Amino acid sequence: MTGHRSRGRAQSGSGIFQSVSQALTRRGLLRAMGIGSLGFSGLRNSWASGITRAVSGQVGSADSLAFFDQVPASKSKINWSHTAGISPEMYLPETVGAGCAFLDYDNDGWMDIYLVNSGPCDFYKPASPLRNALYRNNRDGTFADVTEKAGVPGTAYGMGVAVGDYNGDGLQDIYLTQYPNSILYRNNGDGTFTDVTAKAGVAAPGWATSAVWFDYDNDGRLDLFVCRFADFSKTKNVYCGGHGAGERYYCKPNVFAPMPSWLFHNNGDGTFRDVSKESGIAASLGKAWGVVAADINNDGLTDLFVASDTAPNSLFVNRGKGRFEDTGVLAGVAYNSFGVARSGMGVDAADFDQDGWIDLFVDNVDHEMYSLYRSNKDGSFDDIAVAAGIGSTTAMMSGWGVKFFDYNNDGDFDLLICNGHPDTTIEAHHPGIRYREPLLLFEGDGKSWKNVSGLCGPAFARPIAGRGLALGDFDNDGSVDVLITANDGVPLLLRNNAGRRNHWLGIKLVGTRSNIDAIGALITYKVGDLVRQRSKTGGGSYLSSHDPRLVLGLGNRARIDWLEVKWPLPGGKIQRVTNPPIDQYITITEGQNGWK
Amino acid sequence: MVTGPLAQQSHNGAATTSVQAAIDMVATGNCAEALLALKRELPHTTDKQLRYRAEMAQVRCAMAVDDEQTATTALLKLRHEAPDDPEVLYITTHYFSELGMRASQQLEARAPASYQARKLQAESLESQGRNDEAAAVYRAILENDPKTPGIHYRLGQIELAKAGDAGPTADAKKEFQLETEVDPSNASAHFVLGELARRNSEWDEAVEQFSSAAKLDVGFSEAYLALGMSFAGSGKFINAIQPLERYVKMQPNDPAGHYQLAMAYSRTGNKEGAARELALQTKVAKNGLSATDTTQGHSVRP
Repeated sequence: MTGHRSRGRAQSGSGIFQSVSQALTRRGLLRAMGIGSLGFSGLRNSWASGITRAVSGQVGSADSLAFFDQVPASKSKINWSHTAGISPEMYLPETVGAGCAFLDYDNDGWMDIYLVNSGPCDFYKPASPLRNALYRNNRDGTFADVTEKAGVPGTAYGMGVAVGDYNGDGLQDIYLTQYPNSILYRNNGDGTFTDVTAKAGVAAPGWATSAVWFDYDNDGRLDLFVCRFADFSKTKNVYCGGHGAGERYYCKPNVFAPMPSWLFHNNGDGTFRDVSKESGIAASLGKAWGVVAADINNDGLTDLFVASDTAPNSLFVNRGKGRFEDTGVLAGVAYNSFGVARSGMGVDAADFDQDGWIDLFVDNVDHEMYSLYRSNKDGSFDDIAVAAGIGSTTAMMSGWGVKFFDYNNDGDFDLLICNGHPDTTIEAHHPGIRYREPLLLFEGDGKSWKNVSGLCGPAFARPIAGRGLALGDFDNDGSVDVLITANDGVPLLLRNNAGRRNHWLGIKLVGTRSNIDAIGALITYKVGDLVRQRSKTGGGSYLSSHDPRLVLGLGNRARIDWLEVKWPLPGGKIQRVTNPPIDQYITITEGQNGWK
Repeated sequence: MVTGPLAQQSHNGAATTSVQAAIDMVATGNCAEALLALKRELPHTTDKQLRYRAEMAQVRCAMAVDDEQTATTALLKLRHEAPDDPEVLYITTHYFSELGMRASQQLEARAPASYQARKLQAESLESQGRNDEAAAVYRAILENDPKTPGIHYRLGQIELAKAGDAGPTADAKKEFQLETEVDPSNASAHFVLGELARRNSEWDEAVEQFSSAAKLDVGFSEAYLALGMSFAGSGKFINAIQPLERYVKMQPNDPAGHYQLAMAYSRTGNKEGAARELALQTKVAKNGLSATDTTQGHSVRP
């Protein structure tokens, strides 16, 4: 991830003797040409022109409502800021940011917000106390800081957050990843949480990053996967760069050893068992950042796709009986086309082309392009990022939080990515690359992708050090909003204006036999000529957690003919709902007819 | 009369003494005499250290008296016998640079109006980053003779350099196309055209250009890799296998070839072959830094 990763162009043609020799000129040409050989009209026509339009007032002006509006802190009352603790020693965690979450901790039907901050550890002693923040949604567009009462401040150098109801009591619990130990906060149901890490046995020592709740063994209880990054500590920090003034920079992770991630089995009594080894998860060493849980082969068992940085991405296919097999390499999602690991950061999974098979996305750093993997329906994937136009647009960018979602409720998946180079010093060494980069939104129609970032408003024109990204409809208008964290900066809350232009239906799924969060459920719905499927995946993005409700986009169709929920195992039944309402949220409970 | 091993021993002893004397002569600047002695005695010198010193002395002397033939032969011999020796590499670099410089001066003196002289001038400008000036010289060559081979290729490279990481490549593509018209046998131009197409997922075009490159130059290993990758990119894994198999034979230490071949085998049902190639990929990747590894660091411990 970090460091001066910009690939130096080979000097083909430079030097008399080099250029005289055709043999020399061609040597290594595939690599020598570098990304610079790509046409970049896409990039120039996309966000760059978006900036121009935004500055000139053509986007986000009063007579042309932008797709997204930034909700300023003065309105949201979210006055919290992330502190990275950036130091001369350039410890790697300082630059990777932290996550965020939309969650409904008080079960009032309104999305609250959780933000992760740095904290004390061996390499960092904050000058003044830092803490995470839990903001309760006041249902009027403002939020109230309830961290102290809730008791969820974090205890170390915070990284990510994964929200799930692990004990099935109907209350959302918080798993907080940290360096050097993580925390499980159990929701007490009275606005407070209890740190139950020790009893649960899920501290996951080391540098934990993203995490996801999912039910890998289909016993109806949520298990926990925790990404582990490299073998890092203060004493293992490495000096990278020259020794002159200003020549030091943040290391690329390849200077650190890869580590296995964690898988914890939920015992159903408030405790977990570390099954990392026996499940096969620990057999794959990586430097894991992002994870998404989804059934990639339609066998009813939830699989995991894990992005890894300077190590091969892992596609852990769930073989049943508690065993996983990392098929990433042969599935074609582990490496670039030269068989070289990229810098995988954020991930997501969705059936964007609606062929019934889950597709994947992972973002990387500059000169690597982001990867859009289309399923071949046989467990393998093809990277179609270039053909989709996403490759050229992202070739010089560095991505983090990412999510497939239907931003305009037209029934098709779109793709939102937050960006920013990981190295704070990059601009001094590579003038063409920026530490802060703008957000990207690609609008999909199931077949192709269009960069619509320029229409999204000023927030998409302003470069940020984007890191975490969470989706959630905080104002319950059916138009899914966005929360983004910036490294060493203030979070960005974006109100979505585009989704309101179409009809929608929001659904909260409650499993009874299957896991209560219904991770792995599949919704199929028919609206006139439109038939769509939505999987309820677990996790996705980077260090972040999302509104557990699904919003189904209907376009301009004002009536849903029917919808079906295929519950994950052990339930597994298909539950049909006829004539559901539109433009509101409903709850569908497993085994109960109708909706609430 | 002494014969057999004893005679050989005696001869070696004499040679050793003579070689040492020649080395001493070099130190005192007696190059002409020393070269004669070294030429005569070196073939009989078996002591490795002495031989190394003698050859180095021979190189220095030959360079001093402008005996290019002797200097070049001796340097090439040293490169063969001591390929990793820093001093040998250092002297080789300097000497061949010197030879190159002399040749370029001769070219300038003897055929100043030739396209070769102007091309060399342009390449020199390129090496200094003066691309616009270089392009002007190249274009002047083409004005004189539009069919001069290799010039559009260089202009294409300049356009690529100007495009940098984020620029359009249409102008570069045009130059490479013109090069293939002027010189249809220019495998490198076909290769670059193929690569430009591959990067844009224009698989048919990429396959055509890489096929041409490989056909024109059967030793052009990367053309086979790129051809295989292009077939794979278009989903024609069966077609990818042959060029990739050829590539891994030519470049067994490049993990990229093994990776691509593993993928092609895997997608065509050859699980055994895929596993074998993946194992090779892992092995060669561990053995050395892949030229394609974009993430290898600059890290140094304090």
